[in-house]
Amino acid sequence: MTDETQTLAQGLSRRDPGLLDHLIELYQHRLYRYLLFLTGNPALAEDLFQETWIRVLERGHQYNAKSKFESWLFAIARNLVIDVSRRKKMPSLEDLGDKDSNQPFDPPDEHSISALQLLVSRENQQAVQLSLLKIPAYYREVLLLRFHEEMGLEEIAAMMSAPVSTVKSRLYRGLAALKSALPEGSV
Amino acid sequence: MTENLHIRAQKFFAQSLVEGLSHADQSWLDQHFHECAGCAREIASTQELLHALRTVPVSIPRDLAARTQLRVRLRAQESAQTSHGNFLLWVITGFSWFAGVLSAPLVWRGFAWLGNYLHVPKLAVEMGFVLWWAVPALFAVAAVLHQKGFNISPWRGPN
Repeated sequence: MTDETQTLAQGLSRRDPGLLDHLIELYQHRLYRYLLFLTGNPALAEDLFQETWIRVLERGHQYNAKSKFESWLFAIARNLVIDVSRRKKMPSLEDLGDKDSNQPFDPPDEHSISALQLLVSRENQQAVQLSLLKIPAYYREVLLLRFHEEMGLEEIAAMMSAPVSTVKSRLYRGLAALKSALPEGSV
Repeated sequence: MTENLHIRAQKFFAQSLVEGLSHADQSWLDQHFHECAGCAREIASTQELLHALRTVPVSIPRDLAARTQLRVRLRAQESAQTSHGNFLLWVITGFSWFAGVLSAPLVWRGFAWLGNYLHVPKLAVEMGFVLWWAVPALFAVAAVLHQKGFNISPWRGPN
């Protein structure tokens, strides 16, 4: 347990408003991206983002600083997504996505890259975005955590309360599923 | 080159992405990529896919952080008020229970005298005493349960 996580745990236990404001700022992109990947629905991801922080406020005393804060945060968000899917009596996390909208993510920042790069990368990114929607949410989740958040296998397993072997098999299958979901000629 | 070697190379590559490879296996894989253009293309395509995955642009909705911060602060204030109210309720309940215990013998005698005076059956007198003693506690429990129910309902989250 580092001094930093210990201080964080104490602050959360005290419901320190300044600390919570700082954490919301710090993790806003990562948490929103995780929820968006998991649900595929921007409006739902936004609601769950706010609910997650309310839970962090209410259950801050339960953070024991033994795990990384982001793992604990993502685990809360994940449980909320599961709660929503249960309430809506969905057979799996898959059905959370907005089936009518095939563009859950925003377009890239056009000023940061050249026109040619933009064209190629935009096509690739759009192909990946669309393909992500076609694969099951539990594959999207591990792919994001491993390749976007760069979390370790044990960390992901702890967050998901699942064995490392499950995480590995989901990663292998997720990669294969994503590749086969891509349209011919893209990437 | 046999088909088994290509399958092995793809398996090793996936393994290198997910859980890492031993030095020997990694060397074999690198060597294979040098010799096999087909596998090298396949690998380049997967790496490009991962790059696209890592750079999928997600821009956060406008003011989401600010709105969340405000909501969290409001909830914190609400919770602080509720916990202050709970403290007062527990103090009052404790005091009421203590006073009830101290006054029980006196009240019992009062009930017994009244029952005798009005010729009420003993069972009715006993029930009246139990009711008199239990009603404040029942009110306190009802208040606590009501308050807990009020606090829990927002946890149901968005519908």
